[in-house]
Parts: sequence; C-alpha cells; structure tokens
Amino acid sequence: MSHRSCALVLAIAGATAVAGQTVTLAQRSANIQSFEKVWTTVSDKHWDPKLGGLNWQAVHDELLPKMEAAKTADEARDILNDMVGRLKQTHFGIFPGSVYHDLDASSDDPEKGSGEATPGIDVRVLDGHAIVTDVEGGSPAAAKGVKRGWEILRIGDTEIPPVVKRIQEQFKDTTLLYLRLSRSVQSRLEGSDGSTVTVEFLDGADRKVLIGLDRAKPRGKIAHLGNMPPLPAWSEWRKLPQDVGYVRFNVFFDPEGLAKTMEEAIKGCRDCRGFVLDLRGNPGGIGGLAMGVAGWFTDQSGLKLGTMYLRGLTIKFVIFPRAEPFRGPLAVLMDGCSASTSEILAGGLKDIHRARLFGTRTAAAALPSVIERLPNGDGFQYAIANYISQGGKPLEGIGAIPDEEVPLTRRQLLEGKDSALDAAVEWIQKQKP
Amino acid sequence: MNRYFDRFNMRIGLALAFAGVLAAADLPKGETLLDKYIEVTGGKAAYSKMHSQMMTGTMEFPAMGLKGKLTIYSAEPDKQYFEVNFEGVGKMQEGSNGDIAWANSAMQGPRIKEGGEKTESLMRGKFNAELNWRDMYKTVETLAMETVDGKQCYKILATPKSGNPKTFWYDKDSNLMVKMSAVTATPQGDIQSDTSVSDYRKEGDILVPHKMSIKAGPMEISMTVDSMQINPEIPKNTFDVPDEVKALVKKP
Repeated sequence: MSHRSCALVLAIAGATAVAGQTVTLAQRSANIQSFEKVWTTVSDKHWDPKLGGLNWQAVHDELLPKMEAAKTADEARDILNDMVGRLKQTHFGIFPGSVYHDLDASSDDPEKGSGEATPGIDVRVLDGHAIVTDVEGGSPAAAKGVKRGWEILRIGDTEIPPVVKRIQEQFKDTTLLYLRLSRSVQSRLEGSDGSTVTVEFLDGADRKVLIGLDRAKPRGKIAHLGNMPPLPAWSEWRKLPQDVGYVRFNVFFDPEGLAKTMEEAIKGCRDCRGFVLDLRGNPGGIGGLAMGVAGWFTDQSGLKLGTMYLRGLTIKFVIFPRAEPFRGPLAVLMDGCSASTSEILAGGLKDIHRARLFGTRTAAAALPSVIERLPNGDGFQYAIANYISQGGKPLEGIGAIPDEEVPLTRRQLLEGKDSALDAAVEWIQKQKP
Repeated sequence: MNRYFDRFNMRIGLALAFAGVLAAADLPKGETLLDKYIEVTGGKAAYSKMHSQMMTGTMEFPAMGLKGKLTIYSAEPDKQYFEVNFEGVGKMQEGSNGDIAWANSAMQGPRIKEGGEKTESLMRGKFNAELNWRDMYKTVETLAMETVDGKQCYKILATPKSGNPKTFWYDKDSNLMVKMSAVTATPQGDIQSDTSVSDYRKEGDILVPHKMSIKAGPMEISMTVDSMQINPEIPKNTFDVPDEVKALVKKP
C-alpha cells in the first residue's frame, strides 16, 4: 500500500488553514471576487442545474454579507467552504494556496518543516488504532527496523489515539472516515527532506519503542498535471510465487510510466494463473486512466466501466482492449483509501464481471473534479460531473463494494500476512486454468 | 373602427410576410458562401498550390491549467497526423490515411477508429477539404442571419454525405467563418461542441485562422497556431500506422 496514500484527496478536501491575518482592502476585494467566482462556477458548471433543489441564490444572499465582513483569510475560506459544503458532495472545497507547495500544512510540530518527505511508512487506522501497514524497502523506517503491524502511539509531541478519537467522532457519518483517519496520521509523519520525526510505537511484543526517523524524498517521480498539486507517482509489478501477477501503483498519474509497468507486467506474466491489481490506498487521479488500465484485462470491444454526466455532456467510460490483454482471472484489492478513479476502475470491472473485488469498501468519493486558483490565491476544487458505474449505481456515497470483505487486522500484519492479497490469490488458484 | 384595425393589421401582416420573402430571397446560397470563403482566404489557385502542411501550436484546457504542444501534419490526398503532448499526460496521437483512422496514447492505448468516428476522421483527413467541400457535403443551406460576437453572420447547415451535419457561421462583411457547431462521434458517445474561430493570418497565400476556442458541455479547449509551413519536408514515416495500432487489426 502507498505510503503517500490518500494525500491528494484529503489535502484538497481537508487541509487546514494557514495562520489567519487581518485582510487588507485589496485582499477583501479579492475575497469577494473569489466568493462570486465560486458561486458562479457552481451555478454554471454543476452537472445538475437544479443543484438537487438547493436554493443557490439564497445561499449567495446569506453568505455574501459574511464574506464582506470577513476579517481574516481563514474566515473568508471558512465562508467559501460553508458555501460549497451546502451541496453535501465530496470534491467541493477551498484550500489555502500554500497547499500547492505543501500538501498538508497541518502540523503539531513546528520543527517538521514543509514538504512531502516521509520515513517510508504507510498507515491505516484499524479498530481505532493507527497501525503500520507497510514499510517501504530501503526507507529510513526500514533501516530502523520498523515493522508492519506496529501501532503508532505518538508522533513528535502529538498523542495519536486522541487525534484518532476526535476524527472518528467528527466524521463518523461519512464514508470518508477511513480516508481521513489514515491521512491524519500520515500527514504528521511527513515533512521536509532530511528532517527527523520522533515516533513512539507499540512493537510486535506490545513494548513501547521510541524511534527517531529521518524523512526522505517520497518514492517515485513527481508528476505534474495542470493545476493539481504535484504528486509522487510510482508503479510496480512482480510475479508472486503462486504464479500470479501482481501490479500496484500509488496514484492514477504519469500515464507513460504506468503504461510501461502494465505492459511489462502483462508480457512478463502472460501465462500466469491470474492477476492481482492492488488499488489499496490509491486516491485516484486522471479518470481516463481507468479505461486505459482496464484495456489490459479484456479483449472484448465495446465494454464500459460506467458513464460520466457533465452539464451538457455525457461521456461513456469505454474500455479499449490492448492487442494482447490478459484474459485470465483478475482480482482487485481495495480499501477505504481507494478513491475516485480507483473506485471507477474497481466498480466498473466488477459490474462487467471481469474482476472479483477483495478488501473493504472504497471511500465512496468518486466525483471527477478540477482545481482552479481563486483571485485571493486559494485553491478551489469542484466536481464537474456525476458518475454512474456500469451496474447502474452511483459510486459517490456508496463506493465499490468488495465481493469478499477482507479487513486488515494488526495480528495478521504482525504475522506477516496480507489477508486481502491471500484471499485473492486463493480465489485465483481455485479458478480453472 | 374594426375595419380600419383589420386593414392595419392586414397591412402589417402583408408587410411582414413580404419582408420574410425578401429576407429569404436576400440570403446568399450556401454554395455561394462556401465558394466565397475559398475566394476570400486566398482563392482556388492558392489552395491548389498547397500539397502538404505542417502546423505547430498550443492546445490548452484553461480550467485545468493543462497546456500541450500540438503538431499536425497533413498531405494530399487524405493523410493526416496529429500529436499533442501534455505535461503529466504524455503524447496523444491520431492519424488517418484515407483507409484507416487510429488513435494512440499512453493513457488509453492504441485503437482503430470505427463507425461514425472513423467516417468523420477520414473526412477531416482529406487535404484541402475547404476547397473540395462539394466532395464532402451533399447539401449546404443558408438558414438565417445571426449575430455572433457582435458580427452579422450567415448561418449555414452543411449536411455531409455521411456523418453528422455541421453548422457554420460566416461573417457577412468578411465572409470568413467565425463559428462552427457540430456533433462529433466518439466511442465515448456523441459530443456536441461549439467552436469559435478567429485571428485569421496569412500563411503563404492563404488566410488561416490561428485561434480556435472549443466548448463542449462544461469543457473549454483552446487551440492556437504558433507556426505553419506550406509544402514542407515531411519526415519519412510520419503517416505510417504505428506498430501497436497495426497489432490491433484482427487477423482472419
């Protein structure tokens, strides 16, 4: 699973504000322009011209005086977030311009610095505990002997269990809970390249261990795509001992790099008993790549993953089969940090009966979105479309549902097991060659 | 009183009806406008001297902050190669040679166009299509006068021999095309788009639009021409169908 998991989605949706300062006249004007820009964009570009019955003009009239009176950048941002929050949909949010350079400004540690460097740990919150689910080979964490299954108790001066508890309470009713929990821990581990973070773990023998971990540049190539914040992107494949191909990638970016990995995987494992596509922790990215990846796994023309509905435009997510695709059993692994394009791919492959899904339900945050800079410098993310998977159901708010629910547990991780992968391989082995 | 009122109404009615007849009669024929477009952009002789082109430019999705370098080669009689390279997306290619129309990208892989999409791509791939519009359209009809960007324009419906009809708007004063509306067949479904055409500049002996703004639903795309060469040296194999596309051709 990706150590940069969920970064994009949460950074955009929930990054906290930089310290507030009193606005100047020019900033006030820029805030009001930003207000109008956000309001008009939603009014003009939301796929549903009626906004589900929401009186958008009334929202404008209610919030504009508040915006005119906003005294700090934080206040202005809160008002804009209040406005788009009335839509009650994911992928609508305002984030500080600083996020473009610092994906997550939230930090309890003023010494950590800004940046995306990481000790090389991937984290999920399992049963209310922040658990290490992966340690990147060759990373500072690996060098210090951190193991899968260890619990994170403290990062710097921050006790993690209370943070987890607060987030669980705050987001208990949303499908994004799993994503936010993971990100809340992950973001505290990140910082500038070369900086150090002290982490208290509960090791495999339930002993408290305090380790100073260096942060290193994240794995992969930094991918740029328009107004999106730059993201590290990597992809890899290997042949498992059970004669099963295994592919994973941390984000749906860098199409050329991903295509190369997919091509090598399919060529290198053409006669394998099956394939596992690991989308756990993958927050999505370029929607069109879902069709591209699916094309490696079918030779049937005309199949669709689903349909995207924009205002005045409908786009079918058609799969274009590659010349020599893999036709054998395909298993997809996913979890609550698989979002957006990951859900489109997993849900669509399930709907067309091409793949069997293992793991836990995805984040249910599948709306395609774009990001624009506002006149006041903040970033504005807004969804431009609705998406219905080929089975006829929206992914938003529902997510892709696994065929076999296989939650991670600390015990299994400590035993070196990957229960979702094991279940997928077992299923593949039962299929007819 | 009523009698006068009726007569007044009748005269207005007659006047309006007569005006309508006049207006329809006044509108130039579609054929005339398309021929005139050739004339005002350089004339048949100038077009006939062109046998190939290379264009470089920029393609942009402004809302996404996405910008790419665009290169288009085209040559007689029906060869075309289109390439755009976006940072973070990679190279996207399309081509046609009068027989096969194809597309290839790292994002979605290679594919051979079929059905309506193939028909339209082959049509677009015909060199000097403007000059030879009679080969493409079975009818061209002037529908009305409309204002586009403050300019009085003739609105023309062009129905191709195959594929979806297109609507063009020609500036009444300059006879340059300023807008086009069409439904484009794609595997993802038919896409309705409106394209504004502007910034005509002379390239060789031909006036060529250097800016196009395309609107399809909420998406906006702009294309600008940076340079254009008439009858250039075209690199060998430019119009060849890539091997990965050839591999898709079903073997008997």
